[in-house]
Amino acid sequence: MNACHKLVFIGEPGAGKTTCIAALSDIAPVTTDVGCTDDLARRKASTTVALDYGEMDLGEQGMLRLYGLPGQERFRFMFDVVRDGAMGLVVLVDAASAQGLDGLAGTLATYADELRQRPFVLCLNKHPDPPMAFRERCMAMLRDQGLVAPLLVIDARSRSDLAQVFRMLCLLLDHGDYPVLDGERGGA
Amino acid sequence: MNRWPDPDHALQALARIVSGCEGVQIAMLASRDGRPFVWRSAVAGDSGKLAAMTSSLTALGRTVLRELNAGELDHLLVEGQDGKLVLVGVPGLDGLLVLAVLAERRARLGLVLGHARMCVRALAPGA
Repeated sequence: MNACHKLVFIGEPGAGKTTCIAALSDIAPVTTDVGCTDDLARRKASTTVALDYGEMDLGEQGMLRLYGLPGQERFRFMFDVVRDGAMGLVVLVDAASAQGLDGLAGTLATYADELRQRPFVLCLNKHPDPPMAFRERCMAMLRDQGLVAPLLVIDARSRSDLAQVFRMLCLLLDHGDYPVLDGERGGA
Repeated sequence: MNRWPDPDHALQALARIVSGCEGVQIAMLASRDGRPFVWRSAVAGDSGKLAAMTSSLTALGRTVLRELNAGELDHLLVEGQDGKLVLVGVPGLDGLLVLAVLAERRARLGLVLGHARMCVRALAPGA
């Protein structure tokens, strides 16, 4: 039986989490989108309020179970619901939006403690070649929180890009120094 | 177009549950995307967190029913050793608002659910 690996996507509203899982999942994705009722409605019609779920077959490498979480800080509790067994996190940033950096700041403020304990990859999405200044600002924001992570520019709808993210997380798990958390570390 | 009920009218409806149904501790209306609209409580509580959890639970309930071909969501009940939470949507608002009622263990479920249904009917457009 091939291994199952659990990936958790976090990031600001509009960073592309729902789109990513819908595009990559080999099954009909489970979604919990509702219409926005606040200022976010100016940028997008709907928002995830519980989770997105999908599955992606990696062939001999097993199967990826993809969990996307709401971007708003008020739904932070959903991380506690899905974190058990997660091999790592994917932090998505909308690199095409002027609000992307603010969104990353919010994500880091909400999840910094969790990110210190787990491997994660910072993924710049929605822009094929983000300006160097944008990338450097993202890395500086990580450093300001005492975090270290690889930065990848991806198209979150691309299977090959997500496979690259998965391989990067595997490398981090193999060579990184993370506390062993009960019920976590993915696999099986 | 969202059609929010009059907040004062909504608060009166919530007050009727808290004062009229024995054991009810909290009654709140949350937006479908997890923000508190109005709130009445006989105990201390975090309205923001309850609103977000109300939204998540409701969305998950709808998703589970959809996956199981089990029809539209009528209500959600989460019952623990020391309390119970009932969630009911306000009809006629396209899912805009959900009523959350938290009651003590001793509260009778049928009464809590009955009061909750009366409350959301009173808040429905044209009521």
